Amino acid sequence: MPNKKILIVDDDPDVRHGMQVRLKANHYDTFFAVDALSSMVEARKHEPDLMILDLGLPAGDGFVVMERFKIIPALAVIPIIVVSARDARANKGRAIKAGAKAFLQKPVDTAELLAVIRQALGEPAPAEKPVVYDLGSL
Amino acid sequence: MNEKPLQVLVVEDNAGDARLIREMFSKERRDSFELTHLSRMSDAVIHLAKGGVDVVLLDMGLPDEHGLDTVRRSLAAAPDVPVIVLTGLDDEALAAEAMKEGAQDYLIKGQIESRALPRALRHAIERHRLQTEADLIRTHQMQFKDEFLSHVSHELRSPLTAIYQFVTILLDKLAGELNPEQHEYLEIVLRNVKQLQAMIHDLLEVTRVQAGKLSIEVQCASVSDAVVYAVNTLEGTAAAKGITLSSEMECRLPPVCADPTRIRQILIILLDNAIKFTPPNGAVKVQARRIEEDPNLVVLEVSDSGCGISPDMTERIFERLFQTPDPASAGRKGLGLGLYICKELVTRQGGQIWARSAPGQGSVFSVTLPVFSLAGMIAPIFKTERRRESPVALVVTEIGSQTGWLSDAEHSDGIRALLQRCLHSDQDVLLPKMGSAGAAELFFIVATTDGIGGEAITRRIRKRLDGCGDLERAGLTVSTSYRSLEAIKRNARESMEDFLENAAVKIQGVINEEISSRMLENA
Repeated sequence: MPNKKILIVDDDPDVRHGMQVRLKANHYDTFFAVDALSSMVEARKHEPDLMILDLGLPAGDGFVVMERFKIIPALAVIPIIVVSARDARANKGRAIKAGAKAFLQKPVDTAELLAVIRQALGEPAPAEKPVVYDLGSL
Repeated sequence: MNEKPLQVLVVEDNAGDARLIREMFSKERRDSFELTHLSRMSDAVIHLAKGGVDVVLLDMGLPDEHGLDTVRRSLAAAPDVPVIVLTGLDDEALAAEAMKEGAQDYLIKGQIESRALPRALRHAIERHRLQTEADLIRTHQMQFKDEFLSHVSHELRSPLTAIYQFVTILLDKLAGELNPEQHEYLEIVLRNVKQLQAMIHDLLEVTRVQAGKLSIEVQCASVSDAVVYAVNTLEGTAAAKGITLSSEMECRLPPVCADPTRIRQILIILLDNAIKFTPPNGAVKVQARRIEEDPNLVVLEVSDSGCGISPDMTERIFERLFQTPDPASAGRKGLGLGLYICKELVTRQGGQIWARSAPGQGSVFSVTLPVFSLAGMIAPIFKTERRRESPVALVVTEIGSQTGWLSDAEHSDGIRALLQRCLHSDQDVLLPKMGSAGAAELFFIVATTDGIGGEAITRRIRKRLDGCGDLERAGLTVSTSYRSLEAIKRNARESMEDFLENAAVKIQGVINEEISSRMLENA
């Protein structure tokens, strides 16, 4: 079975690189985008199974990206995990409302990131956990 | 040099006094002052509201207002216009009070030198202008400082992310095997990254405190859950130092009215400090119990066998950036903000925090938190004027789970958001969230005052949640009911306010019973 594809959108090259190493070691293929525009281009090109989205992007932040993805059917189906240096209490609610599956604060705990990715991709978790219902469809 | 004439409003009902004042002004240059004379407060307020007045000469004994109320009304009508009060010979004390209320100066009738009056007016205007400017500058400075700190803290998180990522990648051997030395050094780096992370977090918290943006969601919370969580989190750190970490909790401890995340945060800060300041092979203990003197409080105590604090410092340690000047504190790190944040969090939730200690004798940090009271939470909301006129309903939505994972905050947030969508955006709602200590139920109580009433809302909530197949698959049961206080009230004789308080107390009793019976089941 081919590896699942993850699109990483972050303007910091070191952060992207670090995530790539970690995700590759967990059998995910990765692609990069650095801003709102390239995120759409890359998403169309690679058809990722999931997108990891930083909020603090140049020229249009993560929220803009989520809005744009929502209105295009092919992109709207991609689950989004928001990762940000911004404060969780202030931004988590807004991110979830905008359609994100989860909000993780930088620096992101590795175990948490992998667990959230698995959940968003509908993969079974290694540890025991009951089925989580998808709030997005309510 | 043609300066605009100063517009002076004289509010004085005594004709003789008014004439004297007018005469004093007549000795000034014609175009330097323009006088308006009114004899009632109500007329003065109208005139002030029109704008254009530079200073008010205010008699405090008017036919329709007197004493400090004259000053208050004048400042309310025109906050930017300085007030000088006119008082009688025996009223200097009152004049001093007037200045506390905001008047710039006072003049004693019958003792005003004619030359002094215009000078006093000019000074008052100038002083007021400087005060306003100073306030504005101070506010801007504080805002700038807070925004600056907030921006810097956020920016610091990005490079920290990259460092953390690659150190953990190395430690997880994704770039090859490590010899023991390499592993040890990388662990040191990781420890310091986490330290830095904690410092940035503290810094941001403090800026939020200053900006009044600390978010605290008070609800029915379990102290024992928080203690268990904190002890679990810090077990490793304590063990690494050979310190015994234990907890002792009174059984049947009532839930408290607090933010569960914040209680955890407070406990972690206190335990972390206790461990830091206790030498190896020492002991740190957390206790939670009710206090005899006050049944409405729960007290948390973190005690340690550490180096102690001198009694004259036990209040200062809660100040910002305070770090004990103890030379024996090798390896002590941190910004010195933890206890400041703790104190802020505790007081904002209606509790108190203090420390008892002596050098060489360890320390005991105590935190009190109010016992949960639904009546306490709801009653103040119902007391506002507006709500007394509209019909009131309490809608209770109970969500049960068979798998017991509903205590996960994220899911209860989702349900809460869902319930909120069932209500109109302009509806006035109180949505205290309650989780019952460790058990698998959550219930939300929506108190609403609107024309539509509890029944309609209940129907809407049921419809929404019934149509949700996912809830069934997740093993959740939902039930919604409402109690129309109006209908119950029809026969009562008390005032709406008292009635609401009593109703809240009754419902509180029912809920308390429910909670303790479930806690017994799960014990």
